[in-house]
Amino acid sequence: MKRFPWELIVGLIIGAALGLSYAWIISPTRYIDAIPASLRADFKDQYRIAISAAYASTSDIQRARARLALLGDADSVQTLSAQAQQMLANEADIKTVNQIAQLASDLQGKNIAPPVHTQTIFTPLANTTLIPSPNVTENPPQTESVSATEQPQSPISAVTPRPTQTPTATSGAPFTILSQETVCKSNLTEALLQVYVIDSHRRPIPGVELIVTWDGGEDHFFTGFKPELGNGYADFQMQANVSYTLRVGSGGTPATNLTVPVCPSANGNTFNGGLSITFQQP
Amino acid sequence: MSPSTWIKLLIALAIGAALGLVYGWVIAPVEFIDTTPETLRADYRADYVLMIAETYHADKDTGLAARRLAIIGSQMPADIVKQALQTGREAGYAPNDLTLLEELFTAMQSYQPVSIPTAGTP
Repeated sequence: MKRFPWELIVGLIIGAALGLSYAWIISPTRYIDAIPASLRADFKDQYRIAISAAYASTSDIQRARARLALLGDADSVQTLSAQAQQMLANEADIKTVNQIAQLASDLQGKNIAPPVHTQTIFTPLANTTLIPSPNVTENPPQTESVSATEQPQSPISAVTPRPTQTPTATSGAPFTILSQETVCKSNLTEALLQVYVIDSHRRPIPGVELIVTWDGGEDHFFTGFKPELGNGYADFQMQANVSYTLRVGSGGTPATNLTVPVCPSANGNTFNGGLSITFQQP
Repeated sequence: MSPSTWIKLLIALAIGAALGLVYGWVIAPVEFIDTTPETLRADYRADYVLMIAETYHADKDTGLAARRLAIIGSQMPADIVKQALQTGREAGYAPNDLTLLEELFTAMQSYQPVSIPTAGTP
């Protein structure tokens, strides 16, 4: 009977172990041509900040969209909004937060500022490229087609939209109350004080501090924490039989004597309604 | 063990090692999912620098531009922009983008980080 080739089995196992050790530990695959989607989370945040800042300067939404696609986020708008909220909570630079929130808004097709046309010596940025690289890599990026195709070619023109500025609260300009309404909706959270803050172009402004005071108390809250309701939106839970005063942190006209309204319901009873106040910066 | 047994063992060892290397390098290589910007491919790095150049063109904030450039490497900011400029030229960037990169390169060449005075210095 032929002897079992144990030396072959042992040799294969030891050899494979040595090979794997070399390939995984001693000399693992060097990753020198990474794609943005593989970046660590905090670096992705930095990447989004750079994209938002560049967008604030160029107003090139197509380019910003293509760049965001490189990060491989499932929902860029949601990711940007979440990052803006987190930065706001961490008291990051408000200008940077505004830029991110503005890009999120504009990606949703909201609040696009009317373009101001003017003579410039530049060709449209949309005519430029994100460089579809001919480099051969060990791991071809899945997003290659995005960077290569999302740059629409447009004719070169001497007239091109000038970048519009991100709406931010202009320091010194006081906010005024544009509207104040009682909200009697039974499906809405009771006694909710809803606040909207907009600029002179009626664009919502995120990151605005609101101060609500009442007899023996004070609270601060900010717009932009619920981007699904608008970047200039914020709300506060009132208590019945308490009179509040609301003002925008940077100053302006305060809304006074704010109390929970009593609303009639369909069945003849009553329920606590809410208030909706809009502040605008002239 | 006989010499033939040793030979068989060594051959098996070599085959096993080869299989291990193929598996470790090709079939299931080490996956890097939390990479740093330094490892970005040259064209992505160049595009990141272009973003900073676009921002710099509007705000002229050299300090902010230098800090953002520092994320993608420990080299001098001007060197990072120079590399991006080279990549941009090779890749056929639009003239406007090259102009922006050149503007940032010029700014970074003269950029001096602000040093914080040491406490207790007379």
